Amino acid sequence: MPDIQPTTDPARPKSSLRAWFDVRGRSISTLAFALNRLTAIGLTVYLFLHLAVLSLLLRGPEGWDAFLSIAKSPLFLTLDVVLLFGVVYHMFNGIRVALVGMGVAHRQQKGLFYGLVGIGLILFVVGAILIYTA
Amino acid sequence: MAEQMIEFKVSRYKQGQPGPTYQTFKMLCDENTTVLVALQDIRRDLDDSLTLRHSCHHASCGTCGMRINGKEELSCVVKVLELGTPVVTVEPMRNLPIISDLVVDMEPFYDRFNSVGLPFIRGSEFLEDAEIAEGLEAYGRYENCIECNLCMSACPIMGSDETYLGPATLAAAWRVVEEPRGLPVKPLLDWVDSENGCWRCHVAYECNVACPSEVYPGDKIMALRRQLTKRKFRGLFGK
Amino acid sequence: MDNMISQRSLEQMAARRDRSGSFWLIQALSGLVLVILLGTHMIAHHFIVEGGLRDYEQVLDYVSNPVIFTLEVLFVILGVAHALLGVRAIVTDMRPSAGTLRVVNWILAAFGIVAIAYGVYLAVALQRLAG
Repeated sequence: MPDIQPTTDPARPKSSLRAWFDVRGRSISTLAFALNRLTAIGLTVYLFLHLAVLSLLLRGPEGWDAFLSIAKSPLFLTLDVVLLFGVVYHMFNGIRVALVGMGVAHRQQKGLFYGLVGIGLILFVVGAILIYTA
Repeated sequence: MAEQMIEFKVSRYKQGQPGPTYQTFKMLCDENTTVLVALQDIRRDLDDSLTLRHSCHHASCGTCGMRINGKEELSCVVKVLELGTPVVTVEPMRNLPIISDLVVDMEPFYDRFNSVGLPFIRGSEFLEDAEIAEGLEAYGRYENCIECNLCMSACPIMGSDETYLGPATLAAAWRVVEEPRGLPVKPLLDWVDSENGCWRCHVAYECNVACPSEVYPGDKIMALRRQLTKRKFRGLFGK
Repeated sequence: MDNMISQRSLEQMAARRDRSGSFWLIQALSGLVLVILLGTHMIAHHFIVEGGLRDYEQVLDYVSNPVIFTLEVLFVILGVAHALLGVRAIVTDMRPSAGTLRVVNWILAAFGIVAIAYGVYLAVALQRLAG
């Protein structure tokens, strides 16, 4: 049994970004996958930036509280809201991907998407309001 | 029957060209005109160099798969006016090399099917109301899969890595697990329990949407993963 | 109605089995645990104290609790593992060569170990500062 060979088509070079993120004409589940991948990349970048910023805590209250004054600016609060969307979407769609990917409730995968991400969006709206009004 | 002039934006490619281009044709279509018939009329009346595949004209052979307005379809059953667009874009399926215009090289697809032992026939149940002829004990029928490649074209993971086994192959592998018919199941499960196997699916489920023949490849991939998950957990507990 | 696959093909198929399924399961299960850990972390650090974000004293006060300390350390470990397994999955989807994938695996593993070690060190240092 030969290995599956990559098909090289000079007429259509492979583009991973187009394959994953060009969602024109695609179903909701593919949109879900594209957004999951996008939020994954964003959250990974954020995670390591966040770990680096936390080193300010080792400089004592002056270092950390000075950072807090920037973190409470309108721009940062807006970035926080974007982060919250990423976290909530990735988390709730992630529950669906984990369950369906293990073969649990896979026939109800679309309903799971609407249900879980729906709950997530409600939590996101509540969280966004709290971030801006705190 | 009401007729409408429809503009067809058709992908054209001949070997040696740097890449596909689009050519526009105008055809009069009525409510019964399918995309396949319109393309055949274009070929007959406007440009006989247009290449496309077709056979049964009723969605049972899987030959005429292509992308219509960006979506994977069997062109023989898509009615032009039901698309609701004045311009209809027609392109070849994704993820396989183009031989010419709308014709792609299906060999990489069939190579995968050969690997799972060509499971084309399966057992079938008797219908409750059927009058069974004397002496008949069982029916055989063809598998749902008509090997049209629409699922493989639609899959976003195939779009970035065509060494992924893909929905059609994995669905066929699951059918063997479900109904072995003398084939050993463990080597097949080992085969799909791999980097290019069922774990590459990211639950986009575009294959389920694209399939014209009720195979539901996405569901079958998850069935394989359930089987393999159970196997892994059993392995952890030494069973 | 029996179908045939040659013995040689069966042996070649069986030899394809690898660890990718285990990687995926670790990522999925860590993700499910992270729902609780990250949810707790977000709520605790953004929504409980007055003003939203915790200041220096409030952070130390929070991390000084041994249960919270354990949860935050677990969060760092699982969060970094989940993120880097995800990066590996994205890279794999771009069909790197076997050699490239091996290098990527090593880089991600090294990066992960350093990130987790740093995260744990930070948590321990903050707990010590809290007294």
